[in-house]
Amino acid sequence: MGELGVAVIGCGFIGNVHLRAWSKVKGSRIIAAVDLIGGKAKRAAEAYKAPYWLTDYTKVLEMREVDIVDVCTPTYTHAEIVVSAAKSGKHVLCEKPIALRLSDADDMIGAARKAGVKFMVAHCLRFWPEYVESKRLVESGAIGEPRIARAYRLSPFPEWAPWHKDRRLGGGVFVDMSIHDVDFLRWAMGEVEEVFARGGTLKTADSTSHDFTHAILKFKSGAIAYVEGSWIQPPGFPFTTYLEIVGTHGMLAVDNHSPAALKVYRPGEPPAVYTPFEEDAYDKEVKHFYECIVRDLEPAVPGEEAKKTLEVTLAAVKSVDEGRPIKLPLEGEVL
Amino acid sequence: MRKLRFAILSFAHIHAWSYARVLKSLEEAELAAIYDDDPERLRRAAEAYGVKDLYGDYRQLLKREDIDAVVIASENAKHAELAIAAAEAGKHMIVEKPLATTLEDAEKMIKAAEKAGVKLQQAFVMRYHDATVAVKNLLDGGTVGKILAVMTTNHGKFPGLWFDDPKLAGGGAVMDHVVHTADLMRWYTRDEFDEVYAVIGKNIRPDLRSEDCALISLRFKSGIVGSIDCSWSRPNTFYTWGDVFLAIYGTDGFILVDAFRPCINLVIEGKPLTWHYYGPDADYNMIKDFVYAIQEDRPPRATGYDGYKALEVSIAAYESARKGLPVKLPLQR
Repeated sequence: MGELGVAVIGCGFIGNVHLRAWSKVKGSRIIAAVDLIGGKAKRAAEAYKAPYWLTDYTKVLEMREVDIVDVCTPTYTHAEIVVSAAKSGKHVLCEKPIALRLSDADDMIGAARKAGVKFMVAHCLRFWPEYVESKRLVESGAIGEPRIARAYRLSPFPEWAPWHKDRRLGGGVFVDMSIHDVDFLRWAMGEVEEVFARGGTLKTADSTSHDFTHAILKFKSGAIAYVEGSWIQPPGFPFTTYLEIVGTHGMLAVDNHSPAALKVYRPGEPPAVYTPFEEDAYDKEVKHFYECIVRDLEPAVPGEEAKKTLEVTLAAVKSVDEGRPIKLPLEGEVL
Repeated sequence: MRKLRFAILSFAHIHAWSYARVLKSLEEAELAAIYDDDPERLRRAAEAYGVKDLYGDYRQLLKREDIDAVVIASENAKHAELAIAAAEAGKHMIVEKPLATTLEDAEKMIKAAEKAGVKLQQAFVMRYHDATVAVKNLLDGGTVGKILAVMTTNHGKFPGLWFDDPKLAGGGAVMDHVVHTADLMRWYTRDEFDEVYAVIGKNIRPDLRSEDCALISLRFKSGIVGSIDCSWSRPNTFYTWGDVFLAIYGTDGFILVDAFRPCINLVIEGKPLTWHYYGPDADYNMIKDFVYAIQEDRPPRATGYDGYKALEVSIAAYESARKGLPVKLPLQR
């Protein structure tokens, strides 16, 4: 197999992160950067030496030299782009959440299967160092059976993506952000059977999306988890995550500030507290997808997995709306 | 100021030992007598604090005119009997949390104290940690605007003893932990709970006689969202006893509290790392304030009613977990 051509659709924050990651994957070549806003596509194409920049994604589906389409657009556009990319025979990497409707997820999964292309949803915690190591510890039996988990993720509202204020476009804080923790907990602890959640649109003006949600998950195994997502942090609040898993023989806990290798302080900016890796989670994620294509492997997060994770987050939205616990699987759509 | 003469009624609860330490250290108070229904524990307490007047029958102790106030730190289920007797004997009292194991008992205690005109303070020690007091002042000063949501945890090791015996404790980890942060939330928001949803389990210590964990979702009347993650989930080898953690989300700011985080990393050759606490002494603050509440004849910072309302959350949590559904407060009795 020769070099695989990549087109990244959506050149916002995560699109640029993926472009940088693709630029490091030997055996791949960035062919096109696509964005509805021409300036963004052009800047991204220039930065990553892609021969083409486009505003119409359907054009890349016709390009023979494009093997992989990496969908980094707003959530509400995922289904249409992924289905048409798969139908065009392109392998598809799609940013999380997979979609906002379960039927859309089914269409995406079906289209990829029918076309015989690889399809993965970019749930980056599956490549995130402390989460990968936590999963490994749980799997190794180091803390016994995982029985109680706690995870939270705190951020100011993502003002840079105003479509998040419309729940039909972005799904809200739990579907968009806590989905990371839910996906990780499913990965580490198995399937969820019931969700109770509380929250709402507590602070954000003119938003139909929930900006704060806490959820209590009951797993099939009998384990339980508390997951909280906040988009109501004050401006400038440093992005904060926490994970704790208690097992029958011990526990693990990790957050994203205390164990950081590096702290950078600059005037007028919140401290940057992080642990840099030459190959970061996004690099690993993108490289993994490339390997899946080249070696014909099952991707770490196939569409079916991402759909199950989505379903749990949708159950949380439904629980907040209806004030009662929601059993899985869901009957019908939520958003 | 006259020295107040105190008695401690039972050292069954581990906090009794700390309260005795505080009483011994206060200029304003004197630990005059102790009672315990366990002769061996009575002997150990007497030895530890140099108390000479020892009682195996609390009625005899309560007959003493020279005792002004009592600390009740028995097993939870025995609080009511001791508190009602203390009230009838005209003694002011501070009662270990939870106030009682049933709302009926809690109400009887409150009424007995009211009738006798004695003070009943609920030992909500978290109202006396300097950090949580600072938070109260920040919130009352409007530092974060209006409160939107509160997330709390109270994790610990399994305390052993009778704490998992439902007959004596009234339950397990829920009875032990929930009231602390439930009370802080009520204190901070000046609001009452409207709905409780809880998942309760014996998830990690199958040998216990009670639950070891709970996840609780709360809503206040004003719509404020709250949560409590409480458990005896910390391994016996954990580097500290546990935590009281609060995240308070306001319209205009955010406060994080990790009350027992002020610790020195201490490693002694041949032993694992431990966290050596150097933070505020909330037990000291609380007992001292109780002494002053009596001297100055003012209401205690946390009353019997506060104890009742926090206990109601625990009782509702059990009911919610049993039904698998949210439960409305106040509970109908």
